[in-house]
Amino acid sequence: MSNESSSELVVNPAPHIHGPMTKNRMMQYTFFAILATLIVSIALWSQVTTPSGWNLGLTLAICIVISVGLAVVFDFLIGKVASDSEVNLWSAAVFGLIVSACYSFGYPSMAMETGIPVEAPVAFYYVAIITLLGLVVFKKVMGLAGRKFVNPAAAAKFLVLLPSTAVTLLSSYHSISGMLMIPALSGPIGLMSVVGGNGGGEGYPSFGGYLQSCYQIPTSQAVGTPETITQIMLLTKYHGWAGGACSIAVIIAGIVLFALGRKYFKWKITASYLVTIAVLSLLLSVAFSDADLIARLLFELFIGSSIFMAFFMATDPATTPYSGVGQIIFGVGLAVSTILIQTFMGFFGGSLLALLIMNLLTPAIDKIRINKPFGR
Amino acid sequence: MANLVNIPEQKDVARKIPIEVFPDPKIAVVLTNQQSGATNIPIVSVGDNVIIGEKIADTKERVSAPVHSPICGKVIKIDNAYNSCFEAPTEAIFIEADGKKTKDKSISPITEAELSKTKNEDIIKIIREAGIIGLGGAGFPTSIKLSVPADKKIKYILVNGAEGEPYDTADERLMIEKTGNLVRGVRVLRKLLGNPKVIVVTKESKVEAVPKLQEAFKNEPDTEVRAAHLTYQQGDAGMMQKAILGYEPAAGKRSYEMGTIVQNVATINAIANAVFEGEPLISRVAALNGDIAKPKNLMVKIGTPISDILNANNITDCGSIVVGGMMMGVQLQSLDSPVTKRTSSILCLNKVHAKTLKQTACIHCGRCVSACPVRLQPVAIYNAVVKGDFAKAEKLWAKDCIMCGTCSYVCPANLPLAFNVKMARSSQ
Repeated sequence: MSNESSSELVVNPAPHIHGPMTKNRMMQYTFFAILATLIVSIALWSQVTTPSGWNLGLTLAICIVISVGLAVVFDFLIGKVASDSEVNLWSAAVFGLIVSACYSFGYPSMAMETGIPVEAPVAFYYVAIITLLGLVVFKKVMGLAGRKFVNPAAAAKFLVLLPSTAVTLLSSYHSISGMLMIPALSGPIGLMSVVGGNGGGEGYPSFGGYLQSCYQIPTSQAVGTPETITQIMLLTKYHGWAGGACSIAVIIAGIVLFALGRKYFKWKITASYLVTIAVLSLLLSVAFSDADLIARLLFELFIGSSIFMAFFMATDPATTPYSGVGQIIFGVGLAVSTILIQTFMGFFGGSLLALLIMNLLTPAIDKIRINKPFGR
Repeated sequence: MANLVNIPEQKDVARKIPIEVFPDPKIAVVLTNQQSGATNIPIVSVGDNVIIGEKIADTKERVSAPVHSPICGKVIKIDNAYNSCFEAPTEAIFIEADGKKTKDKSISPITEAELSKTKNEDIIKIIREAGIIGLGGAGFPTSIKLSVPADKKIKYILVNGAEGEPYDTADERLMIEKTGNLVRGVRVLRKLLGNPKVIVVTKESKVEAVPKLQEAFKNEPDTEVRAAHLTYQQGDAGMMQKAILGYEPAAGKRSYEMGTIVQNVATINAIANAVFEGEPLISRVAALNGDIAKPKNLMVKIGTPISDILNANNITDCGSIVVGGMMMGVQLQSLDSPVTKRTSSILCLNKVHAKTLKQTACIHCGRCVSACPVRLQPVAIYNAVVKGDFAKAEKLWAKDCIMCGTCSYVCPANLPLAFNVKMARSSQ
């Protein structure tokens, strides 16, 4: 053989074959899983028209186009300007979807979770601002710094919430005696009326009634039974995180995603989070002498900020631990802090803050080493 | 070990193709050093005539294995030759064939009847003089591996017929075609190691080899053929002890400390040839496979230039040649590189498959951590090596890496994890 042909040989370190999974494929799987849950949300919400005259399903669809479009375009443009920034359009598209999915939409008169607008057209501006803030500040700048420390979508949303800190974070505004008339979880609750409880008793709706007024289809004035409230929490929520409108859809899409991308997705976080939430809810129900065990459980597990986050935000690879043990610690920690925030700070949707806390703890969790190497 | 990554075998065609003897090379290029351990120096000079099996390089150091001339002919050059990637060319003895078939008789074989009466040190000497090294890839001198201190009792011999590397079928064909020789080789091992229990370990996917082995070993004392479900990573000696015997061998200790010797089938075949036939290790079976139409299993002389094999099989449009396995082997810098004792396979990658994968940033998915069969954290070691922090890499147990390459195989960002862990390992 001549030397010319030798010089053409490709020489790389072992191994010389590669498995089928790539970052792009992981992002594509994630994109379509979240998109599937959002399509269910759009279909559900198309039955509602908000006071500003916008169809809620259409509002969500437009927000998705805005957030995904802006994320992809800006990711591309930043890649052109800053040459050392990695262009990853699928990752940007997933980020865009998550921004829309974790934005709270609804009917303004329904009980409010946050201080930011829930209906079109103002929601469009907020979604756009969160997308740009998240992409530029939290995704790209942190990426250039070597590693992402917090979930970009969660961090950007939280930053936008900050101006309304008083409403969002101070529990005195939330409680039944405060401005937002939200029943407190730091006392006995029940799906039906609870005498003397924080969420019930004379003059106030039961916690089940609160859930129903919050999430049922706005045109319905029906007084619920425990069965209808359960059905609302599992299948049809017309308020709150767009990604979590149908809890069952989220669970199915999430499980399909984990099955398809076997071992590349951090399902241990989801599993340990959900189990811990369920166990803690039941324990707190007993501790606070709730009228029934299901009210707290339904709320803590199936509000959009809990179920959607568990499957699609808490499992963000970049901001979570890489070892299996670390992922379980992360999931348990996320669940404990979420429940503490929602119970004692009265910040419903507190999983957002909990996620940021756990993200920041991730480098420390990564240092925990339980499994010794083979033969040590 | 549910976490082990399954890597497709890609052996369906090649495992059915009988071993074919490849013609002797016109010019043999015998690397002076093919073993791990002490360095050989040539004991022939340019112009010397050598015969088949004549020792041409050796050393007085203990941990070593000599090399022999594969052909009859004249030493025409002692010069550097291409070896493998990321290494400078190393010394080789170039021998031009004269067409004769004269064999060197300096190794005196024994008969099978004499085996039980022969002293262990005499058998070890034959194995040493025959230049036998671990043919599974490690290249450690077999005479040293089998010299177990008298106070160490060996309980098990694991005959390693797993051949986990995808595409590689040389060992599988040996188990099918040289089964009788393997039985003889195992008898030598039992004699040397004090008649321990023997488990012949192979994979259930080797459907032709399993019954052959069962038939051949059925009358051997204390011997069992185990057709196990093994993944690629369990072809490693340590992983195999875990899979078959259920314990994790202590890291960093010699294998006899655990009372088990794991020996590859190709090595056992070479031992039988040396002890009973007086043949030094001058040829081996190598699979010719990859992106080619007709895979083959070739009995090839050590020292045959790879280019001879490719030309004879009309393989011309390769983007790269991998020797020694897709997962752990090396890509050749030059097609003039010769076959060595460790060349278990010659695998062609076409120009599409040979391309260098684009590396992207780590997304922290942790797949390498869950995939590592020895429970290391490849990404953490990688990050330490990239920063030049080898002390940290050592703390993360980089030296326990078995270099199986699974971390790089699964990495969705195409990071060269295995390569960097290997760098940390060899820096210690």
